[in-house]
Amino acid sequence: MRRSIGAAAGAVLLALFLYPSAAYPVLYIDINAPGGKRMPLAVADFAIGPGDPSLSRGIPKILSDDLTLTALFDLVPPTAHIETVTPAHFSGKPLSFPGWKMIGAEAVVIGQAEVQGGQVSIEMRLYDATQGKLLLGKQYTGTPRQIRSIAHRFANEIVYTFTGVRGVFGTDIAFTARSGKSKGKELYLVGMDGQDIRKVTDNRSYNLFPRWSADGQWLAYTSYRTGAPAVYLRNVSTGAEKAVVRFGGTKAPGGFSPDGAWLFAGVSQGGDSDIYRIRVVGGTTERVVQGGGLDVSPSPSPDGRRIAFVSDRSGSPQIYVKTIGAGGETRISRGTAYATSPSWSPAGDRIAYTARVGGRFVVVTVAPDGSDPREVASAADGDCEDPSFAPDGRSLVYTYRKRGYSSLKIVSSDGRIQRTLVSGIGDAGSPAWSPGR
Amino acid sequence: MKGTFSWTRAALVLLIAAVMVGGCAKKQTVKSDGGAAAAPGAGEVQEAPVKEAPAVPPTAMAPALAEPGVAVTEEIPSRFEDVLFDFDQAVVREDGRKTCQVVAAYLKKNPRAKLLIEGHCDERGTAEYNLALGERRAVAVMNYLVSLGVPKGNLSTISFGEERPLDPGHDEGAWARNRRAHFVLK
Repeated sequence: MRRSIGAAAGAVLLALFLYPSAAYPVLYIDINAPGGKRMPLAVADFAIGPGDPSLSRGIPKILSDDLTLTALFDLVPPTAHIETVTPAHFSGKPLSFPGWKMIGAEAVVIGQAEVQGGQVSIEMRLYDATQGKLLLGKQYTGTPRQIRSIAHRFANEIVYTFTGVRGVFGTDIAFTARSGKSKGKELYLVGMDGQDIRKVTDNRSYNLFPRWSADGQWLAYTSYRTGAPAVYLRNVSTGAEKAVVRFGGTKAPGGFSPDGAWLFAGVSQGGDSDIYRIRVVGGTTERVVQGGGLDVSPSPSPDGRRIAFVSDRSGSPQIYVKTIGAGGETRISRGTAYATSPSWSPAGDRIAYTARVGGRFVVVTVAPDGSDPREVASAADGDCEDPSFAPDGRSLVYTYRKRGYSSLKIVSSDGRIQRTLVSGIGDAGSPAWSPGR
Repeated sequence: MKGTFSWTRAALVLLIAAVMVGGCAKKQTVKSDGGAAAAPGAGEVQEAPVKEAPAVPPTAMAPALAEPGVAVTEEIPSRFEDVLFDFDQAVVREDGRKTCQVVAAYLKKNPRAKLLIEGHCDERGTAEYNLALGERRAVAVMNYLVSLGVPKGNLSTISFGEERPLDPGHDEGAWARNRRAHFVLK
């Protein structure tokens, strides 16, 4: 989801290419090298024209926090910086690159911001401190409410410049949580940096299982707000909704086809849950998986040709993969008596799911044929559940639960780096990461 | 990445980049950022936010309900005991059968009574799977009541999965109480 759309009510957000920008990424950082060295980078305090002086540190803070999250950069702390950036640095005056090199920075980000008449103009530049060369320069204009969005955008450009893979800053995570003292559950959105939590529904009923369309414009979810459960489709920008699945008993959306035409859902009739796909327009329904057991939680592959799903046909819930429209259904979870909530990676190369191991729930990823299992999130004192991949596939969000306390956490896909995304909101769960821009 | 940054490679790329932009004046082109999504509203004509989205006819869309929904989050006390289940099971146990026999006797004496059977789960495991499991529990109880002679038309089911625990605790005792079918006379 684009934060700028959520932020809304603003003028056009324009980025102007001032310089030859990195149309071809400069591959300084090999993101696939385990334990690779991090790029030492400094984000200088911004030069501030007329307007809000808090932007001088506010925008660099957003950039620094973003870049830190990637675990690809070592940020040189501002206290070590020895040069003050001024407007002159944007009109020909060179930075003191040897000085930046001396404090350990191999790359420097500078910027200037100006607020006038409800418009903010931000120019940001990325330099190679060793060569003294400009790698990236952009100018953005927007409303003050779009400042975070603008900073995230440039952080994505920086990541792309160094790695060739676009960053995921500015994306959102949808989740469910209890609202205050309400016993119901509402849908929420939170920025991937843990900022800007927004309540999406407000009907004090149960609103469950948010799932994004591939373009990030729609959320499908189950709501009990009329008393009986139905799956609704909600336009994230406008808030307009319609019910798309009313038949059957319980129902939970699993995901959309890549073209947005179909919604996959588990729907029960007479106690037996099967997997259906429902045409978003028109409502045509096709059963995709059926059987005597419970078949739930369909997760479409990124190419839309296969689905991963949960079935307890073997006597316990396990993960299966099926080619849509073909016969075979292959079990891919092994070594556990309880495997649920599959989530396909954006590149299609991994499937994450929840597995019960030694009495605890852990998050595992496997290749789509079930080979190469890796445990990516586990806790000695609690459960890790409900994984959902980031749009760049480099990390996953999941629910951590411990004796009624729950939080949302993010872990790198190799399981090495963890952080807390949301805590202190009652019963937070069912996270779903939005597509990238 | 191996050891340190490949500055020679970087320099080469920069050199190529420099050659590519060649004689272009530095501040020449002013292009819209392809990645920049326009924000809607405020009188500006923006990229339609429904672009590439499912083409739902506008008439089919209603504004989201802001008012409270039907109260499903409060438990309605029952004159019958709950039917309890084992972990990840939907088999009606012997104790549950006795409860069902009491329920069936009541319904036969009161043939106009309608009964809603709610299926519930404990908090462990995945909410989606638990929703289906709760439904299966409710249906298992319904089927048993039908086998005892209760007309199916007087019975209905709903699952709340793990969303509405009876016991807010987080131990075996609480979980055992929360894996249940709950009866609501309508």
